[in-house]
Order: sequence, then structure tokens, then C-alpha cells
Amino acid sequence: MLRSFNWLDLESLLRGAVWTIVLCVTAGVAGTVLGLLLGIASSSPSRVARWVASTYVLIIRGIPLLVIVFFAYFGIPLMFPDIDLSAFLTAVIALTVFATAYMAEIFRGSINAVPHGQTEAAQALGLNYARRLRFVVLPQAMRIAVPPGIGFLIALIKDSSLVTVIGFVELTRSGTTISNLTAEPILTYSVVAVLYFVICYGVSRLGSWYENRSGSRMDTTEAENQPHALQLEGV
Amino acid sequence: MITVKDLHKKFGSNEVLKGIDCHVDEQEVVCLIGPSGSGKSTFLRCLNGLETATSGTIEVNGHTITDKKTNVNVVRQQVGMVFQHFNLFPHLKVVDNVMLAPVKVGRTSKGEARAKAAALLDKVGLADKTNAYPGSLSGGQQQRVAIARALAMNPAVMLFDEPTSALDPEIVGEVLAVMKDLAREGMTMVVVTHEMGFAREVGDRAVFMDGGVIVEQGPPSQVFGDPQHTRTQNFLSKVL
Repeated sequence: MLRSFNWLDLESLLRGAVWTIVLCVTAGVAGTVLGLLLGIASSSPSRVARWVASTYVLIIRGIPLLVIVFFAYFGIPLMFPDIDLSAFLTAVIALTVFATAYMAEIFRGSINAVPHGQTEAAQALGLNYARRLRFVVLPQAMRIAVPPGIGFLIALIKDSSLVTVIGFVELTRSGTTISNLTAEPILTYSVVAVLYFVICYGVSRLGSWYENRSGSRMDTTEAENQPHALQLEGV
Repeated sequence: MITVKDLHKKFGSNEVLKGIDCHVDEQEVVCLIGPSGSGKSTFLRCLNGLETATSGTIEVNGHTITDKKTNVNVVRQQVGMVFQHFNLFPHLKVVDNVMLAPVKVGRTSKGEARAKAAALLDKVGLADKTNAYPGSLSGGQQQRVAIARALAMNPAVMLFDEPTSALDPEIVGEVLAVMKDLAREGMTMVVVTHEMGFAREVGDRAVFMDGGVIVEQGPPSQVFGDPQHTRTQNFLSKVL
């Protein structure tokens, strides 16, 4: 029976939005960390590491996300019959595999964009490869990676709607269900669109905030009273 | 301090250094001069392993850096280098630029490194810029920070790769003054430069390079005042 759109529907859309956020934060963080490692590998002096990283990127970027989601859904139970993976974890794995490839390319490009003179200055001081990376190259590469990284994460949030095909209930899936129940697709999907927009807008703002914070510090500010930028503990 | 024997360096099929023999004594200030493309910078960069020699041997402060078994990072800690474009780390404050190597490589304590950095910045006349970021400094100030950074590891030798070429003419003097002080204190220095005045006044020896070989060398008064080779004469007639 058809019924009208009510507050309970809004609540389930919000619940769907929360799942979209949880899914994207998990896959986004995992993809960023793994992508950073692959990005370092693909800009490293080791030929083997470069080959592994570039092959991964080449393969994953050549496959539609939808197909990766299907591979995760059907492939993981085939490979590990004993593990009963939830739809959520399957979705996280698929999105992480996908995000890793794109983040790896973003980090590779950012690392290569740090002027070579920086590496040479660090070499001349006697810093080995790991220390050059940790204290000189990566802090600068991270800043370069923020705009394209944020751009990719926003795309990922929207692409995450593809995981509805394996039955995971996130924002788009909630919308489809409610639209079918109420026969008010325009209203329902308008709410869905607004919720996606709000999530993406938040991520955008976070990115600009980070850029402004680190950018203004490096360019001209004397910053006499700021705490030390260099963390002298660790490594 | 530095002994170079029959050094060759090729980039692909292009031979940039065609057999360099050179010796630098302790506390000596050697100025490398010559036209661009003559191999002076490449030669200098071979001395701390930023370029790998194709053949020949280089011994610096007792380490043979052309030997594959030598840990080049250990040698580099004893050799300071100053670049044409400063290459300060833009994400670190001035003081952290100077402290980075002593703390991360030299295993100096943070407090000790900070005190040392403060002393060095004072020495180059930038005590008031300790907490500034490099981007807010003028070129001359940046280059002086770069010198302080290179000195922080107490190097036995300092290499300068055209340290004033990227600076406005009116601030070249402040960098040269710092280098002059260093020379006076007895630092061993190898300087690639187009500042003939500096080479003549501060250098113990001038080395004229052209086409990947050392054409002529000797006390600056002799090389500048009475050059023996036509190539040297031609070069000096253009730049002096």
C-alpha cells in the first residue's frame, strides 16, 4: 500500500546517511593509508616496489567500481569459505581496494612534485632515504596531495552508492526503498541529494581549512608564537 | 683534506668531467671558476656524492667516497653544502631547518641542538629570525640560514655551489661577508663562484675549469693577474 512521506522516512534516510559516512570514512582512511604506502613504493628507488605499485594501480583503475564490488561479494566467500563477511565489510573492502589505487597515484604525483632540490639538500645533510622521506619530502607532499585527495574522497562518497547492489543499506538504498513505499520519488531523492550535498560540503570545508592552515604558515607568516612545527620525537 | 684522482663523469654519452686531479689542503679556500658548462658544479657535486663518479677516486676527510663500501651518508655529515637556490625546507621554521640534521642524524639532544642553532643563527646575523618560516625571508637571509644549516653538523669541509648567483646584486655582499668570516676562521672551503672579487680576495687558490678539465690553477693573484693559457685569458677578459 502506498503511504505519504513522513518523519519516520526522514529518520531512515538520516540513518542511511550515517552508514554512508561510516562506510566512506572507513574506506577513505584505509585507502589513504594503503595509498600512501603504494605511493611511496611507486616513487621509491626500488624497481620491484615500483613495479608492484604501478601494476596494482593499472589493474584497479582499469576496472569499474561496480565490478570490483561484485568481485568482493562473490570472490571473497569463494576464497575464504569459512569467513562470513557482512555486507558492510564487503563494501568496505571493495571501496578500499578502489580508493587505494587512486590515492596511490595522488601521493606518487605529490611526492614527485616536491622540488628535487629539497631531496638534495637533505642528502647533503646526510639524511638517509627514510629520514628524507619522513622529515623533508612527505610533509611537503601531504600539502600538495590535499586538493586532489579531497576531490577524490568527494567522488568516492558519491560512488559509494554503487554498493547498494550487494544489499548494503546506505543513503541511496534507503532512498530507493522509501521512494517505492511512498511513490514520492522526487521528494525522496531531493532529500537524498541534499544529504549527499551536506556530507560532501563538509569534506570540502575540511580540506580548505587544512590548506589555509598549512599554507599561510609556510608562505609568509613569521609565526613567532606558534608551537614548533617539527615533531622531534619518534623515528 | 680532499684528494681527487683522474675523475671522470659521464651523463649518458656526454662526458662532463674528463679527468680531474685536484688536492685541497686543510683550511684551504679553493675557488672554482670557469664558463658555464665547464663542469665546475658537477665536480663539486661529486665531492659529496650528489653525483656518482663514472671513474676515478675521490677521498674526502679520510673517506674514499668513490668506494662502493663507503657509507656516503657518513661522509656527507662531515661535508656541508650550500646551494645556488638555498633549498631551505619551507615547512620548517628557520631554527628547525638548522636543527634537523643534528637531531635526526647526529643524535644530538634537542636542547643542545637548539643552543647550537641559536649560536649559528647569531653568527650569520639572523638571531631575530629564529622562528620565522623561510618563505618570509629575503634571498640573502635564506642563503645565510642555509649556511648555518650546513654548519650545524660541524663539517670538516664546506662546499658552495654558486651561493650568490640567485641573489640581487645589493645583497650578495651579506652572504660573501659570512663566507669571508668562515674562511678567516680556518674552514676548508671549495667555492664555485662567478664572484671574481671574492675569489681574488678570500681564495687561497683559484682553479680555472673549461671543457671538463682543469686548465690552470694557482694563487689568485697569479691566475687573475698573469693567466698562462689563452682560454683563461679569454674567460677573464670577458668577466673582469
